[in-house]
Amino acid sequence: MMSSEGLVKKLPNDIGGDASGKIERVEHELLPWEKRCHALADVLDFHKIINTEEKRRGVEALGSEMIGKLSYYERWIVAFANILFQKGILTPSDIAGKMAQVEARAKSQLQGQPNG
Amino acid sequence: MTLHDDNHDHDGLDHDHHDHDHSHPHEEISITELPGYYDMLETAVRELLVERKLFGADEIRRQIEVLDSRTPALGAKVVARAWVDEEFRKRLLEDGRKGCEELGITFYDDTQLIVLENTAEVHNLIVCTLCSCYPRPVLGLPPDWYKLKPYRARAVYEPRAVLEEFGTHIPDDVEIVVSDSTAMVRYLVLPMRPAGTEGLSEEELAALVTRDAMIGVIPVEYQKRAA
Repeated sequence: MMSSEGLVKKLPNDIGGDASGKIERVEHELLPWEKRCHALADVLDFHKIINTEEKRRGVEALGSEMIGKLSYYERWIVAFANILFQKGILTPSDIAGKMAQVEARAKSQLQGQPNG
Repeated sequence: MTLHDDNHDHDGLDHDHHDHDHSHPHEEISITELPGYYDMLETAVRELLVERKLFGADEIRRQIEVLDSRTPALGAKVVARAWVDEEFRKRLLEDGRKGCEELGITFYDDTQLIVLENTAEVHNLIVCTLCSCYPRPVLGLPPDWYKLKPYRARAVYEPRAVLEEFGTHIPDDVEIVVSDSTAMVRYLVLPMRPAGTEGLSEEELAALVTRDAMIGVIPVEYQKRAA
């Protein structure tokens, strides 16, 4: 039985040495948005806006429930948004406003296509 | 926006054979449904940062091209050179990054590279227990299994059992060294050159070297064509 002490000593990412199941040799070709997200991560690192270690800590700060339920690049993009809020570079309402625009744009593209 | 372009062949690099899971044809990109939440979140974050001039949209496009240009064929080239050129092998083991740079492989992510040589006495295995650090400049992006819990958790304490799951049996008298990657320091395994390859050219040798062999989960195999 794991005591609460274990949670203090080991953060969610720190899984080296844990018991775990069989290795399934899964792979997938990145989706276009996943590849964009990866390129975004690199560019954020090049410009010292968010470096690799900040990204890793940002993912860790999502907590084990989100880490467990979100996919790899989903964790990255949510961590980036949170870190950008913390750094005062973006606000949640900036994101909400922009996402509404992005969605509206996608909807109009969808309707504008002859054969969907 | 041309960010959706899935153009894999603009750099003249050799992309073939190493990744058989990638051989399916790419689907034509057309919008048939609304992008998902995280897809739109990525677009929103990126566009906001571009609007604020923190970087240019072209930088993302260029980085996508860089990512697409990095495949295990680059690492295979490094391995084959090390097999045929003793002086290069020494320099590579001394400074992995410089060795790769000698072959024209640039390091876009500001990481160091340590090349670990497999021998008859030592077998190396690389992992990133904390996340997914990987020698991307020379191998491209890591496979999903490398990023998932079972491999990350177990590689460090039962590497022999892990290797058996990849079909690799390492005799008990061979030491297994597991190297845990970090944000700054990445590893690449220099596999043993298989027996019977004395007559092969450097290119033929490179074609034998797979991604998984450079992670250290399988050996490089060579089967002489039956006469």
